[in-house]
Amino acid sequence: MIQLRDIHVSYGEHPALSGLSLSIQRGDLLGIIGPGGAGKSSVCRLVAGLLFPQRGTITADGVDLARLDSRGLREWQKGIGMQFQNDALFEHMSVLDNVMYPLKRLTRDPASTISERAAAQIAQVGLAGFEAQLPNRLSGGQRRRVALARACVIQPRILICDDPTAGLDPLTSRHILDMIADMRQRTGNTVLLVSSDVMGVLSISTRIALVWRGTIAEDNPPDLFRQSGEKRVRRFLDDARLPFAGAS
Amino acid sequence: MKFTFPTVRRLGRFSLQAAKDVGGMALLLGRIAARLLPPRYDGPELRRCLFRMGYQSLGIMMATAFVVGIILVIQAFVFVERYGLRSMLGWGAGFVTIRELGPILLALMFSGRVGAYTAAELGTMQVTDQVDGLRCLAIDPISYLVVPRFLAMVISLTALTLIGNAVALISASVMGQVMLEVDTHTFWSNLFDTLEPADVMLSVVKSTLFGAIIAISSCHAGLSTQGGAPGVGISVNRAVVMSAVSIFVLDFFVTFVLG
Repeated sequence: MIQLRDIHVSYGEHPALSGLSLSIQRGDLLGIIGPGGAGKSSVCRLVAGLLFPQRGTITADGVDLARLDSRGLREWQKGIGMQFQNDALFEHMSVLDNVMYPLKRLTRDPASTISERAAAQIAQVGLAGFEAQLPNRLSGGQRRRVALARACVIQPRILICDDPTAGLDPLTSRHILDMIADMRQRTGNTVLLVSSDVMGVLSISTRIALVWRGTIAEDNPPDLFRQSGEKRVRRFLDDARLPFAGAS
Repeated sequence: MKFTFPTVRRLGRFSLQAAKDVGGMALLLGRIAARLLPPRYDGPELRRCLFRMGYQSLGIMMATAFVVGIILVIQAFVFVERYGLRSMLGWGAGFVTIRELGPILLALMFSGRVGAYTAAELGTMQVTDQVDGLRCLAIDPISYLVVPRFLAMVISLTALTLIGNAVALISASVMGQVMLEVDTHTFWSNLFDTLEPADVMLSVVKSTLFGAIIAISSCHAGLSTQGGAPGVGISVNRAVVMSAVSIFVLDFFVTFVLG
């Protein structure tokens, strides 16, 4: 279980998170939604060990991430697959090389096994035949799928997807979210999903957290979340123009 | 009270940025040193960097060195003619090229070509989250990205300066023959009679330090990039300016101490 307690993070003079507390259970598909600049990506970075809070603690199974030495932090990060907001694909590497890269660095498998595993993962995200392409030859949706394949190929304990649907058309967005849900169902791993596609997140998550100005405004399973009477939740859902926003 | 005197405010901002950059570069140097003792860096990445920064810079660096030799003779022309110093041309060209002009001009050219490229490359990786992507794969970006670039720049610039010095002297001797009718035998024998191993050592020390400072400036500028594509442009500019200033400051101290 990952626990974030009273987290405070600021970038320069701008506070991003102010007193955020959140717990993530093993096997959860936790959808994190909220308005832009609310601190959603900061939560992802905190869990990935890429960012440390100025105040508060993040513990994983009781171990404080901020107290880990560099080796301990690397061990923690080996169990994490992260899909970044802007893909973070290595532009000089082909699709296959991008997906093989984590396996080459983190496993001792022979080259043939690595190549097979990567090819299978690429096929799983529907990009068979694109192995030799460079990322700059792909569309936005295809790049996201390569990034997802790269994040999943090591079968991480925790998959973090930071807005994998940003800027995509509704159909592609839906397709990406379905792939994430499918992967979680097959592996049973924990998934942290940030997305601006509120309806999509509500439909696949086991829990939803609304981040509002650096704190958690609501944290509930989707059904309870939809019925919440919390003012900020109502306002957010109304703004998201969900058809069921007013339903109880 | 809010201070509204614009010049002072700008000066304050500049001083803060300069302090931040000097501190950042010192920290980066410490991190590089920690990964060199014992060596922890990516071998294939070092080979790629050596090829790109060293071998692929050979043409432009040699062209620069060739022109430096020619300019030296053109500048010396008036005085050699006026005072009849033909026999001293080899010493003059060798002294100026090996001790000062070669290391400085080649370092500035190297900084414009390799330093700017490195700042842009690392800056782009930073703003597109590729550096964090490496961290997420439990890969230390300093060992993987910075140390190979640092070593490649130091080795490349030192080697390129030694070769460049030779090219500049060859072009000076040819130009001396053409313009001043100083035969090449006189040029080279005068050069070898007066040149000391310490002069060549000074050139090596300078180019090694210049390579190190270009690497640290450009890697620091690249890794501290913020703000998307415009931020990358700003970082490239910062890298080139920081490298150039550092080269001249270092040159002063090295010449003062060893010269």
